[in-house]
This record gives sequence, C-alpha cells and structure tokens, in this order.
Amino acid sequence: MTRILFSDKLDNCVAKWRSAGLTVIGPVQGESLSSYATVERGTDLHLGLVLPDRSLKELFFPQTEPMLRYTIKKNEIETADFTAPSAPRIIFGARPCDASGLAIDDPLFGWDYKDEYWFQRRKESVIVTIACTKADDFCMCTSLKLAPDSTKGADVLLRPLDKNRGWLVEELTERGREAFVIISEYLQEGSETALPTVEVPEKFNLDACVTWLQNPENFDSKFWKEISMRCIGCASCTYLCPTCHCFDIQDEGDTYSGIRRKNWDSCSFALFTMHTSGHNPRSTQSARWRQRIMHKFNYFPGKFSVNSCSGCGRCSRQCPVDMGITETLQEISKL
Amino acid sequence: MITQEKYRTTVKELLANGSIKMAIGYRPGSTSDRRRPLFIRTSEEADQLVLDSTCITNLSGYLVTEGLLSDEKRVGIFLRPEGIRSINILAAEYQLNVDQIIIFGFDFTGREVRALQGQTTGDFSALLSEIRENPPLATKEPLLERIEKMNAKERFDFWQQEFSRCIKCYACRQACPMCYCRRCIVDSNQPQWVNTSSHTLGNFEWNVVRAFHLSGRCVQCGNCDRACPVNIPLRLINQRMAKEVVDGFDHFAGLSPTQEPVLASFKKDDTETFIL
Ligand code: SF4
Ligand code: SF4
Ligand code: SF4
Ligand code: SF4
Ligand code: SF4
Repeated sequence: MTRILFSDKLDNCVAKWRSAGLTVIGPVQGESLSSYATVERGTDLHLGLVLPDRSLKELFFPQTEPMLRYTIKKNEIETADFTAPSAPRIIFGARPCDASGLAIDDPLFGWDYKDEYWFQRRKESVIVTIACTKADDFCMCTSLKLAPDSTKGADVLLRPLDKNRGWLVEELTERGREAFVIISEYLQEGSETALPTVEVPEKFNLDACVTWLQNPENFDSKFWKEISMRCIGCASCTYLCPTCHCFDIQDEGDTYSGIRRKNWDSCSFALFTMHTSGHNPRSTQSARWRQRIMHKFNYFPGKFSVNSCSGCGRCSRQCPVDMGITETLQEISKL
Repeated sequence: MITQEKYRTTVKELLANGSIKMAIGYRPGSTSDRRRPLFIRTSEEADQLVLDSTCITNLSGYLVTEGLLSDEKRVGIFLRPEGIRSINILAAEYQLNVDQIIIFGFDFTGREVRALQGQTTGDFSALLSEIRENPPLATKEPLLERIEKMNAKERFDFWQQEFSRCIKCYACRQACPMCYCRRCIVDSNQPQWVNTSSHTLGNFEWNVVRAFHLSGRCVQCGNCDRACPVNIPLRLINQRMAKEVVDGFDHFAGLSPTQEPVLASFKKDDTETFIL
C-alpha cells in the first residue's frame, strides 16, 4: 500500500497549502515562455511540460538581488542590510534535474561563506518533484548518473499514474512529510502501479570525459578551439543553467548613496575575467568555453565531489548556435 | 539539393585554387530543424555543408571575429539578402573590406532553395534595390499591428512587460552582426553608463540603448529575436526603428558598401543644432 494523491484533489491541496501560509509555486506556461511561477489554483499548473524554459535556481538565486543600502555622509557611512524575504513555500512539480541542481549548488553557497540569501530560501522551500514520463532530445540526466526519478534535492517525489489520474507519493525528508501532513485529508491509500519513467539514452561516457579533462596535457588541446569556434559568447547557457552560480557585486546609485546588488554573471563574457589593466587571462572564447566545461566536470567535482551539471539540457536547447555541454562531451568521448 | 551540391563543388574549387582560405556555411544540428554554423577549410569539411530552408541564421557576424580578415586573405560566406545588406553596412562602417569577401548568395521560397547570382556585394545591388522597394517591413506581423494600434501608455506597458523577462544574457547583442563593438556601452564601467542589474530599469535601459544603436543599421535578419532565450519579440523594435529611419531620412541601410551611415555622419550645413 502506498499513498496516492489524485489529480482531482490538487486544487484542494493548493488551497490548503495556501491557507497554511505557504506560497505555492510550480511550472507555468506563459504566453511566450515557461517558468516556475506562483499559482493560486492547482489548475494553473502546467504539469505536462517536459521542463520549464527557465530553471528553478532563480527562485533561490535571482538574477538581481539587493544586499545593502548605503549612504555616505560627512563623517560616516550608513548601511542597512537587505535580508532574503521570509516566505515559506512549496514548489510543486519541479523536475528532478532542477531539484538536483539545488543540491549540487548547496556546498558551493555554504563553503567558505554561508550565503544567507540562498540558505534562507532553501530552508523555507519544500520541493516536490514529479518523476518524468516524457523527455525531449536534449534531456540527458542519465548521462550525468542521475535519472528521471532521481531524488536528489527533493523533499517529496511523486510518481505519475496513467491517464493523468494522480501520483504515488514518496516522502523523502521531514520537511516533505510535514508539508504533506497539511493535505493528508486529500491523500488516499492504494495499491496502484506508477507509470514507468521515460528512457533517457546515455549520450556520452562521463567517466572517460572526466579522465580526459583531468589530464593537464589536454588543457591546451586544439580541441577547445575547434569545438567552440562558433560560440558567440552570450550567457544563455549559463543563465538558464540550474547549477551555474557565478555572480558579480555591483554598487548602483550616485556617489553618495545607492544599493549594493548581487547580479548574475557569466564566464562566457569577455568582461568576466578582464583585469583593470586591460589584460584578460581568458582572452578568447575558446578559453572561456574550456573554463565552463572544466569548471563543471573537473574543478567543481575536485572541490565538492559532485559534477556541476544535472543534465537538464537547457544549455543545448537554447544555444543560438546549437552548441552545449552535450555536444562537447560527446566529442570528448570520441577523443 | 542541387543548389547545395553545386555550392559544395564551388567551395572546394575556390579552396583548392587558393581564392579563399575559408568558407562559412551551415551543417546539420542536433535536431532536424537546427543548423550549426560551419567553418570550411578542407574538402572534407565542404562535404558537411547543408543548404536548405532551415539555414536562417545570418552568419555575417563571424566575419568581424578578431583577426579573421587581418591577413588580407579572402573568406567565402553563405548569405541571404539580409546578410548581404549587413556586409555592406559593416563595410560602410569600416569594419571589413568587401574585396576580401566572396558571397555565396541564396534564398528560399517556401522550402525551395535557390542560388543568387553573383559573388561580390556589387553583384547584388539590383536585388537589394528591389528589396528596398518591397521591404520586408511590408510583411504583416499580427503582433506589430496590435502594437501600432496601442496608445503611448499601452505601448509602454507592453514593452515594460516584455522587458521584465529579460535576463541580460546579451544573446541579442552577441547574435547581431551589427553589434560588433569591442567594448559595448553596457560593458563600460568607468563610468558605468548602464545599470548591470537585470531589474525593470536596467532591462529597459539596455533594450532602449540597443534599439537606438541599431536604428538605421538593422537589416531585420531576426538573429536577435531567435537568440533571445526568453522570447522577447526584439525584431519588432528594430523593424519599427528602421521604418522611422526610412520615413525620416529616406535611408534604407545596407544598399552598398559605400552608403553613408545615417546616424554616424554629419554635414556642415546641417540645420540641426544638436547631434544625438
Ligand atoms: S533531463 Fe531528466 S530529469 Fe530533467 S526533464 Fe529531462 S528526463 Fe526529466
Ligand atoms: S555555447 Fe551557445 S549559449 Fe553558450 S555562450 Fe556559446 S553561443 Fe551562447
Ligand atoms: S550545464 Fe547544461 S545540461 Fe548541465 S545543468 Fe547546466 S544547463 Fe543543464
Ligand atoms: S538587430 Fe536583430 S534583426 Fe537587426 S541586424 Fe541585429 S540581429 Fe539582425
Ligand atoms: S537576448 Fe533577450 S534576455 Fe538576453 S539580453 Fe537580449 S533581450 Fe535580454
């Protein structure tokens, strides 16, 4: 016997969570873009999307965020901190790759300095993922040793029943259990079988790629130039990525007062590593693309023992010149 | 198919006899409706060339890649009429020398691909003049019509809504052949002209600055629009600005490599007392 949440109860659940003070967020297809957005009713959720265009990371690490307000006076500088807004929430229908992305970034944001903005939101968010029963050509979680039903980063995993009737409920954490206690009156016991998850073919041999990347000789391989020749150096791939986490700190305002903000930044930009002197240690796009790959599959795992990629495929899906992690690792697999 | 085969042969010949050092074209992408830019330097690479109605990206931006043309050797490139116009603008703005460019022109009607006759920009002037008479602006865009009917306030709100999605990835800029500045105004931080933050104001500043910088220069290739990961209908802004420039200055950009840039030239007897 397992617990089942039937789809026709979803509206009631959303209402119940909302009345318990939780903001309910989930995949929503807008007029021209899909993203994780706040909903008022269960029927506002678009649970049939392969995955939203925009990733889950931005609910934890927004594209721009105020950190402090400053005023420079004659004898002193006054500052006032912005803290992350306190808002308990439940994210219903996240994809496993998006939830994994959060778990991948946790050690990074908690390493030498504990990023309060990230952890405040992490603490207050319940992540309910739904195992995938469909994928597109770009999905590649399995190549990263994850799966369409991986539980990484999730508090509750739901497994879909046939005909969109509902889901089997697998509570994974205490936080998840608490959130489902709120809606327990709408859950039923049953012995249904869930739909099988989608088969996502493995696209490359990750271990072979990592070995190649770890070999210092390959840092200067001409492979980098060839593979990235068409890269135009935008930040689409990094900004849509659920694990890319680079940011810049900028003061905005006039000479005497303003706001210090934390803004997304990207290793694809030439400006990213530009020194004040004008010297740029990553002066070419190929050096920048190499950095993105090395960071994800060599440096990051070296430090945190996990690859900085969850296989969502967004980088390849959205690239204006049809590049992406998949192609690069496929080509490395062949070397 | 026939056009593609013919062009493969031409590229091979020109590479073999040293007329060009490279040709920039298209090859298959990760799905059947996607094409990847291809840099052809060998006969084997020429065999990867694809030319069909999915080859819509304007490739001309690659020509101003640092160092590509500095050895004065020639480069071939596959271009549709918009691409030829952008080469002319790049030349008029002293970004490249048209004598170094061999054009492999093509266009399509529906799914049918045909070659355009000619090799240098001059060969296409009749074609471009024709486009001027029947500009792509004339193509009816339902969304554009909707926007035209709005009053100023509604229009402002519409764009504010659209720009609110912008994440400042600068894919529009990077994809645009006309955005070749070595240091874009938004990357300049001494002083910081434009907020780097991607909030309402910062997004508005960025998109308005870009619209102004593209006025009288945009060729409506749509690269920006297709590159935008959050699907902002950027082409409409630049289309509208192009129309303003045609109406106000009788200037249709990209007709020839010597055409004076409309907003980057001035005359001593200009009646205006202020230069924007
Ligand atoms: S990459 Fe895997 S987990 Fe992500 S949407 Fe595709 S199938 Fe699901
Ligand atoms: S790989 Fe694609 S999305 Fe990423 S920077 Fe290069 S062109 Fe942009
Ligand atoms: S690198 Fe690409 S596939 Fe991996 S998590 Fe980021 S966007 Fe997804
Ligand atoms: S602004 Fe857009 S449509 Fe115009 S030339 Fe640039 S990329 Fe092409
Ligand atoms: S491509 Fe779109 S999201 Fe990116 S900077 Fe341009 S308008 Fe903004």
